[in-house]
Amino acid sequence: MGTYILKRIMAIIPIFILAILLTFGMIHLSPVDPAEAYLSAAHIQPTDEMLALKRHEFGLDQPLYVQYVNSIIKICQFDFGISYVSNKPVWDEVTYRMPATIQLALGSIILAVLVSVPLGFLAGIKKNSGIDHFSRLLSFFGASIPSFWLGYLLIFFFSVKLDLFPVEGIGTWKHLVLPSVTLALPLIALYTRLLRASVLENLQEPYILFTRTRGVHEKVIMGKHVLRIAISPMITGLGMNLGKLLTGTIIVEAVFSWPGFGRYFIEAIFNRDVPVIQCYVLLAAGLFIISNLIVDLIQMFIDPRISRKGGQHQ
Amino acid sequence: MSKRRNSKQVLFISAIVLILSTLLLGCTNESKENSTSNKDNKDMLTFAWPRDIGELNPHVYNPSQLFAQSMVYEPLVSYQDGGELKPHLAKSWEISKDGKEYTFNLRQDVKFSDGTSFNAEIVKKNFDAILKNVDLHSWLGFIPKVDHTEVIDQNTFKLTLKEPYYPTIQELAVVRPVRFLGDAGFPKDGDTSKGITKPVGTGPWILEEYKADEYAIFKRNENYWGELPKVKKIKIKIIPDAETRVLAFEKGDLDLIYGEGVISLDTFKQLEKTGSYKTSISDPVATRQLVMNTKKEQLSDLRVRQALQYGFNKKAMVDGVTSGVEEKADFILPTNFPYASDIDVTPIDYNIKKAKALLDEAGWKLPKGKNVREKDGKPLEIELMYDSAESIQKAMAETLQSEWAALGVKLNIVGVELTVQIQRFKANDFELNFFSNYGAPYDPHTFVNIVGSKGYGFNEAISSYPNRDKLLKQIADVPKTIDEKERQELYSTILESLQDQGAIVPISYIKKIAVYQKNISNFTFPANRDEHPFTGISIE
Repeated sequence: MGTYILKRIMAIIPIFILAILLTFGMIHLSPVDPAEAYLSAAHIQPTDEMLALKRHEFGLDQPLYVQYVNSIIKICQFDFGISYVSNKPVWDEVTYRMPATIQLALGSIILAVLVSVPLGFLAGIKKNSGIDHFSRLLSFFGASIPSFWLGYLLIFFFSVKLDLFPVEGIGTWKHLVLPSVTLALPLIALYTRLLRASVLENLQEPYILFTRTRGVHEKVIMGKHVLRIAISPMITGLGMNLGKLLTGTIIVEAVFSWPGFGRYFIEAIFNRDVPVIQCYVLLAAGLFIISNLIVDLIQMFIDPRISRKGGQHQ
Repeated sequence: MSKRRNSKQVLFISAIVLILSTLLLGCTNESKENSTSNKDNKDMLTFAWPRDIGELNPHVYNPSQLFAQSMVYEPLVSYQDGGELKPHLAKSWEISKDGKEYTFNLRQDVKFSDGTSFNAEIVKKNFDAILKNVDLHSWLGFIPKVDHTEVIDQNTFKLTLKEPYYPTIQELAVVRPVRFLGDAGFPKDGDTSKGITKPVGTGPWILEEYKADEYAIFKRNENYWGELPKVKKIKIKIIPDAETRVLAFEKGDLDLIYGEGVISLDTFKQLEKTGSYKTSISDPVATRQLVMNTKKEQLSDLRVRQALQYGFNKKAMVDGVTSGVEEKADFILPTNFPYASDIDVTPIDYNIKKAKALLDEAGWKLPKGKNVREKDGKPLEIELMYDSAESIQKAMAETLQSEWAALGVKLNIVGVELTVQIQRFKANDFELNFFSNYGAPYDPHTFVNIVGSKGYGFNEAISSYPNRDKLLKQIADVPKTIDEKERQELYSTILESLQDQGAIVPISYIKKIAVYQKNISNFTFPANRDEHPFTGISIE
C-alpha cells in the first residue's frame, strides 16, 4: 500500500513541470505585450520610453529561456513574483483572497452532499416514484442552466423581490446562501444522477439477495451495504470536481461580488498580469492533481480491493 | 475490525468539525452595514464601482482608480465646463513672456487631512518625486519638458520648462500624477512610485475604512478649505458585474450608478423608462471616430473616403446602437473642448446616390451580375478592426458592413482584443479602425500630438494627405505657441484639415450616464472626465 501511495505522489512532479511549461508557453505565445496591456489599462498613451521601462521592470526584455528558468526556480521557492498591476507579491495577494474562495467552495460542497446523497439514494431505491421524477427534473435543470444566469435569477427573486438575502458581498451566513446554491446546483445534478445509477446497479448485485435471504433487515441492507458501496463513484466525482469547483467559483464570484481569488484572476487576465495568471493556473493544476490523489486514497480505504490491485503489480 | 472502524469514525468526525469551523470562522467577521439597505441613510451615499479603488497613491497608475484619487488629492488648477481653467490649490499663476517659467501663488488656507499645511515646500517635494520617474510619466507632455522646480517663498512655487509648452496649465489639472501627497504619506526614501505610507491629501474626502475588493468608506474632511460636501460619507461598493450592479441598485442597496460603460445603454434606458429613478446624460466627453488608413491603396483616394462617409446613415446608426444615449458627431472633437468650437467644416450627410457616384468617379465600378465593385479586376474590399469586448464597436461594425454592402463595398470586420487593436494601430497594420480621443482635460492638445507623432498610427495613416507636411509642422508648432489668437487659428486649421481630408470620421460623442434614486439631488457631471461626481450631491 505504501509503495502505491509513494508511486502516486512521485507521479505529481512531471505533471507539475508540464503544467509550468504549458502555462509559460501559452502566456508567451499570446500576441499581447503585458507592458502595453498595463499601460492601456491605466488609460495612458504609452511612449516608447515607458514601454521599455515597463518591459525591463517586468523582466520581459530577457531571453525567453532565461525567463523560463527564472520562473521555475522561483516557483520552486513558492515565489510567484510581483503582480504587474498592484506591485505586490502575487502569493500574498492570492492568499489574502483564498479564504473567501475556500469558504464558498466548501459551502457548496456541503450543500451539494447534503442534498444529493439523500435525493440520489431515495431516487435509486424508489425508482419511477415522485421523488425520482423530481430528482430527474432537478438534475436536468442543474446541468443545463448556466451559472451566471442562475445567479441573476436567484438574486432577482430572493434578493430584489423577496428581500431574503443580500444581493452581493460577503460577511454573514446570509451572504453565503445564494452563491453556494448557484455553485452547488450543477454538482447536485451530477451527484444525484451518479448515486442513483450506482444504487440501482448495486440493487441488482447477488450479495443483496444473499443478505436478504439471511434475513437482514431491509433498512440495514440499504444503509450499511447499498449506500456504502454505491457512494464510492460519487466520491470519485466529488474529488474530480474539487479543482473544477474552485475554478468554477470565478463566474459566481463575479456575479455575487464575492471577494475571492477567482475574481482576482479575471482582472489579471484583462490586465495581462502574467505572474498572477501563472500562479492561478499552477494552483488550479495542483488542486486537480492533489484532489484526485486524495480521492484515490479515500477510495482505497473504502474499497480495499483497489490497493490490493495496486499490490498485485508489485 | 471495530478498532479500525472507530479510527475511521474519528477521522470522519474531525473532518466534519474542521470543515464546519472553517465555515463558521469565515462568517464571524460580520458587518451589519452590508446587509442593511441604504435607503434611509441620509448621511451616506452608496455608490458602486467595477474595480477595487487601489492604494490611493497619487503618483502612480493602475490599479488605483482615477475617481477615488480625485476624492483625496487636489490639483493646482482645476478644469471646468467648456475647458475653463480655474485656480484651485494655486490662487493664481503667472507665465513668463518666453512661455518657459510658471510661477504659482498658492492658497494659504489649505491643510492636509493630517493637519499639516500645504505650502511650496510640499509642492516641490511632490514634483521632485514625480520627476524622479520621468520615463514613467512621459506621456504627460509637460513632464519631460520640466527643467527644474523652485520654492520662491512659503507660498510661491516656480516651475521652469526647457522649452515653451502652453498646455502645461491644462495638464496640471489631470488626476495623476500631478496631485499632492502630504508629508506623512511619503515613504522614507521619498520614492512614491514604489508605494506610499498612507493617503494624506488636501481633498474633501478622507479614506476611513477600506477592505480590498469589498468596499471603501470615505468620510468628509471637516477641515476642508473649499465648499464642504453635503453628505457626510461615501461608501463605494466594489461590484465587478454590471448586471449585479443594476440589481443592487433596484433593490435600493445603491444610491447612484455613474460612469462610462458601467452598465449597458439598453439597461440605462430600461431604468429610465420605469420612472422610478432619476437619470442624466453628460455633455460629450470624447468623440468616437473611425480612422481610415490612407496608406492602403483603396483608401488613398479622397473620393473613396468621402463615398464611405456619404454611404451610411450616421444618425440612425448612433441612435440604434447606443439607444440614443450618444449623439451623432459632426466634428472630430466635441465642441465643448478648448479651441475646438471654432471649426468650419461641412458635415457629410447621408447621401447614397452621391456615395455611389463618387465611387464610380474614382474608378470603382460595379460589374454586371456582381455585388462588389471592382477596379482593374480588384474587388473593393476593406477590413475594419474593432475591440471585440466593446459591444458598441461591434454593433457599429456590423451596421457599417451592411450599409456599405449596399454601395458595393465588401467590409470584412475583425474583432480583436483591445491591446491587439492598439498594437496593430500603432504598427499601422490596419485599414479601418475605431478610436476615441482622450477627453478632458487632455484634449485637444493630446489628440493633436498623437496625430503628429510617429508610431501611434495616425501620422502614418494620413500619409497620403496632400498637405501632410504643412499639417505636421502646424501640429508641432501648436504647443509652443504663446499667443492665444495664433493658437486658436492653428487648432482650427489643423482640425478642419484633418476632417476635410476624410481620414478621421467623427461618428458619435461619447457620454457618461448616471442613474440615481429619487431622494438624490444636485447631481452634476464633473467637467474633468476622470474626476469624482460627489461635489454638491445631497440626499433628502
